[in-house]
Order: sequence, then structure tokens, then C-alpha cells
Amino acid sequence: MSNSLGNYANHISTLGHVDRVDFGDRTAILVQVKQFSPGLDTQDTVISPVRGGKCEAQSRLEPLKPEAYGSTRNHLDGAVTGLSPFIRHGVVNSSDVRDRALDVSTPKQAEKFIQQLAWRAYWQQFYRKWPDLIWQDIEPYKTGFEPYDYADDLPEDIAMGETGVACIDQFIAELLETGHIHNHARLYIAAYVCHWRRVKWQAGARWFLAHLLDGDLASNNLSWQWVASTFSHKPYFFNLENVEKFTGETIDTRMKTNGPLAGTYDALYARLFPNLEPRS
Amino acid sequence: MSLIWIHEDAITLDHPVMDAAGSHAEPIFIWDTDRHDTLGYSLKRRMFIYECALDLNIPIYANNPYTVLTALSKGRAIYAANSPDPHIKDILSDLNESYDVVIIEAPSLTQVPDDTETGRFFRFWNKAKKTALVHSREQAVHGRDPQETDVKDKLSS
Repeated sequence: MSNSLGNYANHISTLGHVDRVDFGDRTAILVQVKQFSPGLDTQDTVISPVRGGKCEAQSRLEPLKPEAYGSTRNHLDGAVTGLSPFIRHGVVNSSDVRDRALDVSTPKQAEKFIQQLAWRAYWQQFYRKWPDLIWQDIEPYKTGFEPYDYADDLPEDIAMGETGVACIDQFIAELLETGHIHNHARLYIAAYVCHWRRVKWQAGARWFLAHLLDGDLASNNLSWQWVASTFSHKPYFFNLENVEKFTGETIDTRMKTNGPLAGTYDALYARLFPNLEPRS
Repeated sequence: MSLIWIHEDAITLDHPVMDAAGSHAEPIFIWDTDRHDTLGYSLKRRMFIYECALDLNIPIYANNPYTVLTALSKGRAIYAANSPDPHIKDILSDLNESYDVVIIEAPSLTQVPDDTETGRFFRFWNKAKKTALVHSREQAVHGRDPQETDVKDKLSS
């Protein structure tokens, strides 16, 4: 920081003009970021393998395959783009991404992909209209529980990825190490936090915002509310069979290491939401 | 020569705000540590944001955005990309008390009326897809261009 530099005129340096470092020198960049962040926990030392910048965004945009995305997007090894951190920070605009999709495919082939882009526009429109609601329950929980039934704070074992539920811990580890996980993995974690552990969605949303490179208040918080059921008709939940279906061999989906997730949907529904009528 | 605030919702020089401000305008990025601390951003998030900003090769300041923008403006207009973030809006609103603030929209994915019911996504999508599935160059033919928008509307919405 130029607060301590002599290369700039005083009126500039006192403003905090930053001494430029080489974009290729990640170590020097890291030193600067740490200098700017004196309040950051000293235990926080992880940087993502995902680099910022327009070239990185372009390298994800050029090989875009919207049709393959549409058919595989729910699979953790599907043809997802990794563009969301760059869209989040406006490095690329979602309309440019849409245009690229329509350059390489028909509107029908690209529809599922563009629909996912539209989710972000949807959350943003809501946020523009009601910015003061972004941390509030928009609707009541439809889980048979009241807000006071949910814990205010994220348990430490979840924050550390040490829940003992193997696949959840693997998803959390990826979140903590890279700052970017597949949307389906986000839904699994969020459902686990809200419904298996009965923790307020706000606690999970704050945690995701801290780590996700693409985290923004609109998409993040409203997606958590969609899972929690405070912005949807019903709670989102899943079972181990679903995880097995959509994850590759690198994810541990053995029953003996994922016990709480095992069972039919009806059985899990009865266990997670005992105050509701049984599923018909 | 105007000043352009490149904030964290639009870390790019490929935005209509650049043309609107003119070729001699000065874009700057401001690193807002207090904001990152408030939101609890991890090191990896901060690193990613900083790399995006550094890649633009423009002056970077690490300070309160209002402080930097008021100090550098010196009577010049301040341009910025629009953002839904109340924190950014509040700063621009405060600046607008004393400076000429111009807020510019990026091309949007969809053209959905503001009064569209936003209670559920698929009701939104049914309206949004009419424009979302159309390439920008085809929409431009029908006169949809990014525009300078009324500052008060943008700061109050």
C-alpha cells in the first residue's frame, strides 16, 4: 500500500494508492492482499486455484457447450462452465455469456443454460425491489418448525467439514479449499445444514458468502431460502441415492459413512419433518 | 475528464460506463477492506477480487470509496455501473449530494417489467425468456441499447 510508499505525491499516498505488482506474481499479490486485510483471521491462509481476470473468464467462455450443459448440468462432473465468479463480479456480463451460447447453439439447445443465467437475474430483480429483506425470512418455514426451532449459529463441525457424513465433508472441503463448488453440492450442503442439523439458513448463507468466489447477497441468500422453504413451496431435501446418482467415483457415497442421508424419500421426510403430514 | 468508479459488481473496462464517461475519463478501482470485513470474506475471495482488479491495469486505492472519490473528483463527474448492492448505492447517493453522479446500466439478460411478480422463478422465466433467448445483436435492431438512467431512480430502487 502506498500509505507507506514514497513514490507518490502525499495527497495520493494518503488516499491509499496501491503500488502495482506483476499480475503473474501470485506471491506478491498475496502479500498485498494480506496487507490490505489486517482484520483477516491469521488462520485463513487458503487461496483458490481459480485466478481472477478477464483471460481466465474468456478461457471458460470459449469452450462453452450449452447443449451438453443442459443434459449434464446436475452431475458434478457435468459440462458446467465455472463462469459464475466472473459473472458475479462483472468481469463478464451475463448477456455476453448468453450471446456466446447463442453463437454456438440454437435457442432451443441453449435454453437450459440461459435459464440458469436467468436465475441470477431473478434473484437480482428481487434484491433490487426488496433489499431490506435479504437477511429476513421472506415466508414462513414449511417444515413444520418455527424459526426459533433452528440454531442461530453454524456448528463448528460443519464450518470445519468434520460432520462425519462423508460426502458432505468432501463437499465442504472443496468449498474451503477452492471457493467454488457445483450447484448441486451447494444444495446438498444447504439442505443438510437446514434440515438435518436444523440451523437457520442465515448462518449457512453467511458462511457460504465468506468462501464462495461467486457469492453475492441476492443469489446466495435467496437460494438458501429456497432450500429452507422460506422462499419456496416446500423444503428441498435429498437422499444418499440421489447423491450417488449425480456424483462421480471421487465422492464417498457408501451407506456406512453417510448413514444420516440413507433412506427413501418418504422415510427421510418423516424423520426430518415429523410435524408435517406424511408424504402421499 | 470524468472519474469512473470501477466497483466490485462490475470489475471490467468492457462496460457501457466507459463509453458514457468518454475516452479521457479516468477509471479507478477502490479496495474496500471494511466492506470485506463486514461480509466476512475469506482470503481466497479477497484474492480473487484483487486479481480481477489488478488485471485491468488501472489505479487501485485501498481506502473508503467515498473518501477516495470525493478526494479525486475535484468537480469532475463520477460515473459508475449500476448495482443492486445497497452499500454501493448508499455511497453513490451520498456522492450525489455534492457531485455530478452518472449511473450506467449494463446490457441486461432479460427485459422484464419491474412490476413482474417475483414470488416464484418460473413465473418470472415465462416473461423473461422472450428476451433472454434472443441474441443482443438482434435485440439492438429493435432499439434496446444500454442507457444512462435517472440517478434518483437508480439510487432509490
